[in-house]
Amino acid sequence: MRLRTLYAVPALLCLWGFVLGPSPVAPTAAMAANATPDLLADDDYDNGDDQDGVGVADPLEPWNRAVFVFNDKLYIWVLNPVKNVYAEALPRDVRGCIGNFVSNLASPVVLVNALLQGRFDDAWTVVSRFGINTVLGVYGFGDPAASEFAMLPPSADFGQTLGRYRMGAGIYLYWPLFGPSNVRDTIGRVGDYAANPLNYVGLNSDERLGYSGTAFVNRMSVEPDVYADTKKYSLDPYVAIRQAYSDYRNARISRGGGSEGNE
Amino acid sequence: MKVRTVVLFFLLSVFLCPVGHAVESPMAQLKPTLKSLTDLLSDERLKGDAHRAERRSKIMEAINVGFDFEEMSKRILGRTWQEISAEERELFTRQMIKLLENIYVGKLESYSGQQIDFLEERVKGKRAQVSTTIDNQGAKIPVHYVLNLTDSKWMVYDINIEGVSLVGNYREQFKSILRTDKFAGLMKVIEEKNRSFEKGKGSL
Repeated sequence: MRLRTLYAVPALLCLWGFVLGPSPVAPTAAMAANATPDLLADDDYDNGDDQDGVGVADPLEPWNRAVFVFNDKLYIWVLNPVKNVYAEALPRDVRGCIGNFVSNLASPVVLVNALLQGRFDDAWTVVSRFGINTVLGVYGFGDPAASEFAMLPPSADFGQTLGRYRMGAGIYLYWPLFGPSNVRDTIGRVGDYAANPLNYVGLNSDERLGYSGTAFVNRMSVEPDVYADTKKYSLDPYVAIRQAYSDYRNARISRGGGSEGNE
Repeated sequence: MKVRTVVLFFLLSVFLCPVGHAVESPMAQLKPTLKSLTDLLSDERLKGDAHRAERRSKIMEAINVGFDFEEMSKRILGRTWQEISAEERELFTRQMIKLLENIYVGKLESYSGQQIDFLEERVKGKRAQVSTTIDNQGAKIPVHYVLNLTDSKWMVYDINIEGVSLVGNYREQFKSILRTDKFAGLMKVIEEKNRSFEKGKGSL
């Protein structure tokens, strides 16, 4: 039953693609993976036209800004303190191992997306990494594939897959807890979550939630705090994050890949 | 015959590269700038709070060789630059240079000896792009520098990291502030931000 629902997702997505219109990423750019982008293509400064059209579509801005304020409080009063206690309790090595374990279990999701995007080299890397790390890395707690075999984790997510099939980003959405997203990446996130094999190993909902929560906090504790940094250096953090998120996602879609951890 | 070939070659080189001859390539100019910066940042003698002021002034000196903060400021402000008076321009540029210094030097702080690889350069008229990667624990993060030719020197006016342009990002922020608070409001926000760095301890 669940599997059948999964099959329905791509069909629905095609429909969405029509509704949302073409991706802002040029089709040719979307297909040329790993090429350097041409940043000199147009100089809007010389042309003197810095019209508002280039910005991110954000008709829900007032609502999104309210969620932004909420998330900020959540970060300051809950998430950051929890993260600090967590980071205090567990040494960095242990947290690194937990992060490895989480990404190892998520590799089927990365594999499916890499295949859908036609990135067969990356797909093969994912398979090899999974084999090596599950066996030699003791169920994926270690990452000998990276440290011994110089195989870095490719990343691929469903939002990126949809983007490579030229689905537009849709409007900007700022979710409670999860933060910046858009229609396309939200669908992608739901798809990736549903495709995670953890859903099919018989965990009850509390256990699943506990797993995701730990993965979330653990990830916060090992990755650099981009949010605090952005807040410190921007004049309007909401706009800074909106623009950066959109540019970053577009670059990942047109570049295809990159190597980074993935849940 | 030989003389004629030489003359021909000479003429050709004169006609075909009117600028290219005298000017070093953008990558060749960027390399030493980044090298001096990374050297300063990994200099043990300059580390710690005690050397804060010295470190900062040395970094600024090195940055100013290859980075054009004034050009950056103009580009960030966009069309509004044309609409403000000469004094406002001066005031804006002064505050902006301070802000960019704070942002820049603060961001550079996170550098800890990572390897920088120079991939390629692209020149288009008076603008150029130098693509590099910075190695972050094995992952290669793409960093592109966009440069402008001023007085036969290539100066960086934008940095693009993983698709995110520094100038583009601030321009969007400024646009949003200008829409509601106009130029005076924007100036206030910039000044406030600069004050927060003066007080803040983590701003190098």
